[in-house]
Amino acid sequence: MSTPILLEAIGIEKYYGKFAALGGVDLKVRANTVHSVIGPNGAGKTTLFHMLTGTKSVSGGRIVFDGHDVTQEPDHRRVQRGIARSFQVTSLFLSLSVRENLRLAAQGTAPTKAMNCWHEPEGPRACADTVASVLAKLGLESFASTPAGNLSHGQQRRLEVGMALAARPKAIFLDEPTSGMGIDDLEDMKCFIKSLRDEHTVVLIEHNMNIVMDISDTVTVMQQGRVLAEGLPHDIRSDDRVRAAYLGNMITGGKA
Amino acid sequence: MKKHTLLILALAVVLVMPVLMHSGSLASEVLIFGLAAMGCNLLLGFTGLLSFGQGIFFGLGSYTVALTLTRWPLPMPLALALAMVTGGLGAALVGWIAIRQKGTYFVMLTLAFAQMFYFIAYTATGLTGGDNGLLDIPRPSITAFGQTLWPLTSPWQFYGFVALIFLVAFWLLLRVSRSTFGRTLLAVRDNEERAGAIGYNLKLLKLQAFVISGAVTGLAGALHAMMIGIAPLANAEYHTSEMILVMTVIGGTGNLFASVLGSAFYLLLADWLSALWPRWLLLLGMVLMAVSLWMQRGLWGLGEKLWHLRQGKHGQIRDQTTVQGNKT
Repeated sequence: MSTPILLEAIGIEKYYGKFAALGGVDLKVRANTVHSVIGPNGAGKTTLFHMLTGTKSVSGGRIVFDGHDVTQEPDHRRVQRGIARSFQVTSLFLSLSVRENLRLAAQGTAPTKAMNCWHEPEGPRACADTVASVLAKLGLESFASTPAGNLSHGQQRRLEVGMALAARPKAIFLDEPTSGMGIDDLEDMKCFIKSLRDEHTVVLIEHNMNIVMDISDTVTVMQQGRVLAEGLPHDIRSDDRVRAAYLGNMITGGKA
Repeated sequence: MKKHTLLILALAVVLVMPVLMHSGSLASEVLIFGLAAMGCNLLLGFTGLLSFGQGIFFGLGSYTVALTLTRWPLPMPLALALAMVTGGLGAALVGWIAIRQKGTYFVMLTLAFAQMFYFIAYTATGLTGGDNGLLDIPRPSITAFGQTLWPLTSPWQFYGFVALIFLVAFWLLLRVSRSTFGRTLLAVRDNEERAGAIGYNLKLLKLQAFVISGAVTGLAGALHAMMIGIAPLANAEYHTSEMILVMTVIGGTGNLFASVLGSAFYLLLADWLSALWPRWLLLLGMVLMAVSLWMQRGLWGLGEKLWHLRQGKHGQIRDQTTVQGNKT
């Protein structure tokens, strides 16, 4: 694969007291690929996501995104660089309409506009085109005026990903986008994530091996806060260390 | 809701009070504390910040206008503007430190500031008059080119002046609450974590909300001091913070007109009950319990519910008539 490297993490460490949640993780993510991070529960996947997106700060190491050292930047600054994320546990503005959720997410890339005390977010300030295109991608057009809290779980999961999309980011970080989804929604979500690769770089945490093995360009396996293995999906599936870590039983999904 | 409904309601309150009420001072007080409660509502109802520091900004406004009108020869409108500035600056300081924490610790920090401010006001007798407060605040008439345009001597004359300021402030705050800024505050109220994750600087948003809230509350404090002619220590007391909060909650959070309802309800009930029974605060406590237990959207929420019930009944009657019409 020859696309340039968009994100590089070098020796990322995160300590909680003496406990090392991340013990020096290196990661290179190439542009316009789907890069999955897998591993057993407690391996540090979500912690790594928090470090990369700036939700929490690192204890050590460096993060370079799109040529800029973003290690010290808080999450809201990294959004301006082109990083957007979804959360493992759905995190929406529940009392606000679906449209307003997406409008706020789209406006987040120009946060100084949010300090405008005088004008309503109308006309050119409404980010209407972005909101409409994301609504269409999510298939939530008919729910645009519904409060996010009234959506079904599957719809909320889709909106959760849509919140990241509305920022039109270079890199989109998806933390278990299919968690709790019904079997019917899974295939849709898989195609949806795969389609994102054309315009975005996707970094994905996912437990569903069927999805990971089918759509990933690169898979990184984590265990106990370190990278255990990295490679193409079929290499990972046949890697002995990975099989040992997973006891061979979790990684059988997907096409052979 | 139509765009101008709230503004029309505010105007209606301003026009109706002189017809129904005997005391111009009480009517002025309703509008003044309505302003303060709106400032509180911007933090509590729109941003999700429970601030016990509102009394500080109210007190700062009172002292500023008292000092300016008694010691420095500044025109009265400038004194009011200065009170807004000190209220806003005080809020910037309190906010700047308090928003470093969330939840309980945020509330505790605002409470700590409120206590500190009280003792500073109590001790700095040179500036604040300490326990006595600052006395003999004049109520100069509004003049232009040596002509008296609007004397503020009688309570109802002063009410007119307060009403004008109130309506302008209400319109401005309404505009703020509906602006891009106000809509972003609602996002912060709903889910701070997500608001930060989609690119917003939470500290900056909260700080701006604090400054606006402080300026409005400072203005209210200044008008209150002008109304009663003194800037008492009570205006800087923790009790003032509590009263403003209670008014905001009783009226209903998240709607600016609700704060005016809260202020009117609190002050009129207090006026009526205190004449009947000296322990009237006990009854007010019960009202607060009822709001907290059963009507968390406050008086405004109750009004909305009743309105919808009425609309619903009308709707049903209309439906029935069409059904019958179809049959025949």
